[in-house]
Amino acid sequence: MAERTAPRVTRLLGIVTYLERQGEATVEELAEHFGVTPTQVRRDIELLWVSGVPGHAPQDLIDFDGWAFDEGVIRLTNSQGVGQVRLSPREGVALIGALSAVVAGGVAPEAAHTALSKLVEAVGDKDAVRSVTTGSVDPDVASTLRDAIDAHVVVELGYADANDNRTSRVIEPHRIVVIDGTPYVECYCRRAEDYRTLRVDRIISAAIGTDPVSAPASETSGFSLVPHFEAVVVADAHARWLLESFPGVAIEEAAGAVTARFGVADVAAIAGRLLTIGSALTSVDPQPLASELARQARAVLAAQG
Amino acid sequence: MAIDPAERLLNLIIALTHARVRMTRAQIRATVVGYEASDAHLAPDEARRREAAFERMFERDKDELRRMGIPLRTVVDPTHGDEIGYKIDASDAAMPGIDFTSAEAAALALAAEYWQGATLGPDANQGLTKIASATSAAPRTPLTLGARASSTSDATATIVEARARRLAVTFDYTSASAGLSTRTVEPWQIILRAGAEYLYAYDRDRAQPRTFRLGRIHGKVTTVGKEGDYTIPQPLPEPSWGDTGTAQTAVVGLRPEAGHTIRRRGNVVGTEGDWDLVEVQYRHADAIKDEVLALAGRARVVEPRPLAQSVSQEAEAALRVAELSSTETGGGGDRG
Repeated sequence: MAERTAPRVTRLLGIVTYLERQGEATVEELAEHFGVTPTQVRRDIELLWVSGVPGHAPQDLIDFDGWAFDEGVIRLTNSQGVGQVRLSPREGVALIGALSAVVAGGVAPEAAHTALSKLVEAVGDKDAVRSVTTGSVDPDVASTLRDAIDAHVVVELGYADANDNRTSRVIEPHRIVVIDGTPYVECYCRRAEDYRTLRVDRIISAAIGTDPVSAPASETSGFSLVPHFEAVVVADAHARWLLESFPGVAIEEAAGAVTARFGVADVAAIAGRLLTIGSALTSVDPQPLASELARQARAVLAAQG
Repeated sequence: MAIDPAERLLNLIIALTHARVRMTRAQIRATVVGYEASDAHLAPDEARRREAAFERMFERDKDELRRMGIPLRTVVDPTHGDEIGYKIDASDAAMPGIDFTSAEAAALALAAEYWQGATLGPDANQGLTKIASATSAAPRTPLTLGARASSTSDATATIVEARARRLAVTFDYTSASAGLSTRTVEPWQIILRAGAEYLYAYDRDRAQPRTFRLGRIHGKVTTVGKEGDYTIPQPLPEPSWGDTGTAQTAVVGLRPEAGHTIRRRGNVVGTEGDWDLVEVQYRHADAIKDEVLALAGRARVVEPRPLAQSVSQEAEAALRVAELSSTETGGGGDRG
């Protein structure tokens, strides 16, 4: 299928601006920089070359050095005064929103924070979006995990599991992934002798080890999007907003009640969300989800005293 | 053969950037390569058909320009009657050279992954193309940090688009104080805070600015009225968080490993057994109640009493339903 118009023209203007700022570039460099094939880059240059001010006299066209082009080098000689524009509000929200979510997870490297502040410079309408960042994770734990991942070494963790039991375990960390603002570390757990995805905000302490990692990273990343079973939750209509936030949910509403059906991947996380609409719930199925909800509700009541 | 729409759009951008004052629709149609010029020899029916085809094509192209963030200005010239002309002021809108380091560019590349499958996915990719043109480090996929949004609601995209065109929006919303209600608002700003998205807007029914949690919007967001229907105050007043507006103080007990978001906002004022006691300000009673509940026993509200009671009530209600459901059924299923 042909590429859509707006993304292509955005890249065409991008190539012009990039060449103006960086000087010449090879076809291959442009292809890698803009994430397209060399053939596509050549097509883009050919299109730019025949575009220009009405009249299309030779001096009215965007122009490149023809000798260099034959050698595979793109050198811009006339841009006709066009070039890349700032981020649109939608693009700004998309980029700033994603980075804010990662930063809010508390595990992002310093570069994500500085990228976020530079991004704001690139948005055309500065008032469209604003980011107020806070973190949910102990910064020392986050930086220890990042260091260990970069150095390919183990980490010794003090960890509070879903039942608030404290365990100590040695993990081989592979990747940190932030899902809906909650950070997880994908790792191989030497204690369980299996792959685990641990919530970073349940890590009490983390100490970097010297032992190198031995297990390869699991290939099933994005774990929480793989559902284990289907749940059916019935609740008052005013709790619809929360049920709508579950991935892949189907909702029916009738007579002031909603029935939500959705795939459950992380039982504890879903139960935790349902807990916040406890007084709106009518029924929760199947049994594993109901049991987890009951367990968490008892834990809250025990803590509350 | 019709020419590539990308070529036509590029020629239109160049023409409107070079227009000294403005170009009218007729001038655009007559001179920009890619549009079919009018022809005096055509039969009236055919001429009208082609006129209509040009209008549709030009409207689509204007939408694409807006989608790309290219500032298309309409210029009315009194010496030429009421006819509208167009111009692009590229210099104001030019992407500044921003020096992203390769680590920063890698962090940015997360955005494409984050919105995968969501309405904002193509916007994220287009934004990354713009970033690539401004910096020598290309946004590349990082290896050891990932991010996902599981919800694919298009409320954010709809609201941002409506705001850019100054269109009011209407939606169903659940709030702590008013329950479920339909709101009609003039969007001012999207605020991202502690991992949640908020809409800061002027609420027409309440005749006041309000903040709304985007996650609490039900169903579809629809635009109402006409473009340019409102103005956004400059500068924007500071938003007040929540419906009451007045800040209250809670004391929350946290397990040592838990509740770092709450810790960051508050102050540790002591310990009680296994609990760190943290004093924290809040405006949305609902928001802090949800935070404590979501920590599933690793947090407790000590003060104020009503907040502590609402946490317990929610948990008791959930427990009743959960015990009923978990004893009734062995494996769940489609009982409705």
